[in-house]
Amino acid sequence: MAKLDIGKKIQSENDLVAAENRRRFADAGVLVMNLISSPGSGKTTLLEATIDRLSDRAKILVIEGDVSTQRDIERVRARGAGGVQINTGGGCHLSAKMVAGVLDDLDLDSADIVFIENVGNLICPATYDLGEDVRVGILATTEGDDKPMKYPAIFHEARLAIVNKIDLLPHLAYDVEKVTREVGVLNPDCEILTLSALRGDGMDAWIAWIEDRLSRKKE
Amino acid sequence: MHELSICQSLLKIVDAEMDKHPHARLLRVFVDVGRGSTIEPILLKDAFEIVTSGGRHDGAELVIHEIPLVGRCRSCGRRFNYDEIALGCPDCGAIDIEIESGLELDIRELEIDD
Repeated sequence: MAKLDIGKKIQSENDLVAAENRRRFADAGVLVMNLISSPGSGKTTLLEATIDRLSDRAKILVIEGDVSTQRDIERVRARGAGGVQINTGGGCHLSAKMVAGVLDDLDLDSADIVFIENVGNLICPATYDLGEDVRVGILATTEGDDKPMKYPAIFHEARLAIVNKIDLLPHLAYDVEKVTREVGVLNPDCEILTLSALRGDGMDAWIAWIEDRLSRKKE
Repeated sequence: MHELSICQSLLKIVDAEMDKHPHARLLRVFVDVGRGSTIEPILLKDAFEIVTSGGRHDGAELVIHEIPLVGRCRSCGRRFNYDEIALGCPDCGAIDIEIESGLELDIRELEIDD
């Protein structure tokens, strides 16, 4: 009987592909953002509103991840952004390999920003580095204000947390301050923005945040 | 939730190592799974049985070492499990917490019969 020492992350294969994705994105000079949230918190609506406001100044591509349908990529294309839909056929997250598989279909060299809209899921996507620059965790006010601590993995890795649907606050018992505090406990380096993708509240700050990241990337 | 795809990744690493010992039989795989890793140990064991059943490593056992989610307060230095924390450090209330452990998903070692 013998023991063989390995000492490796199980995700090391995904991490290798993610590193390769990261290199490709860097070579093309694109800012890549991985948007993670539960289904229905407003990721696609946020993308539509972002494309509306930003596409005159930045070329945006979107990689959409869903179990099935082309619904989301059709929505962002209707707003003028290019992109591609990945259907996982049952998989609950995007992996680095899935993203690598579509990069040849995108004109990365002429793009400024790539948004990856992950499969609607607050748990599994946390385990998969896709090669992004920034991971964004999105919550909606309709989900209850106890969520960050219940889903620590996402918020521990995120650079930015967005609380969406703030226009609905008058109808809800949602403590934004509590959510901000919990995210801060999980990750003091995670910034927080509150907005309504649908009504426009707080969207200026989000656009400014993106533009700031974009200019830092270009340096 | 996706313990099956995690096991497939795990098996790739195991196969690569076992290829170096072609006459050995795999007995045990030792993994570290953090409480905050999103991976559920019971489901991981089930998935491991599924991916090894009838294959090269049929009968091998997955041994899981669960690692607690531990935070350390950067202000006062107090360490605590995330099961007890509500908001901020239980001692001084500061919210600048460093996660020291609990996010691991590692394969530590193999036990083989050579």
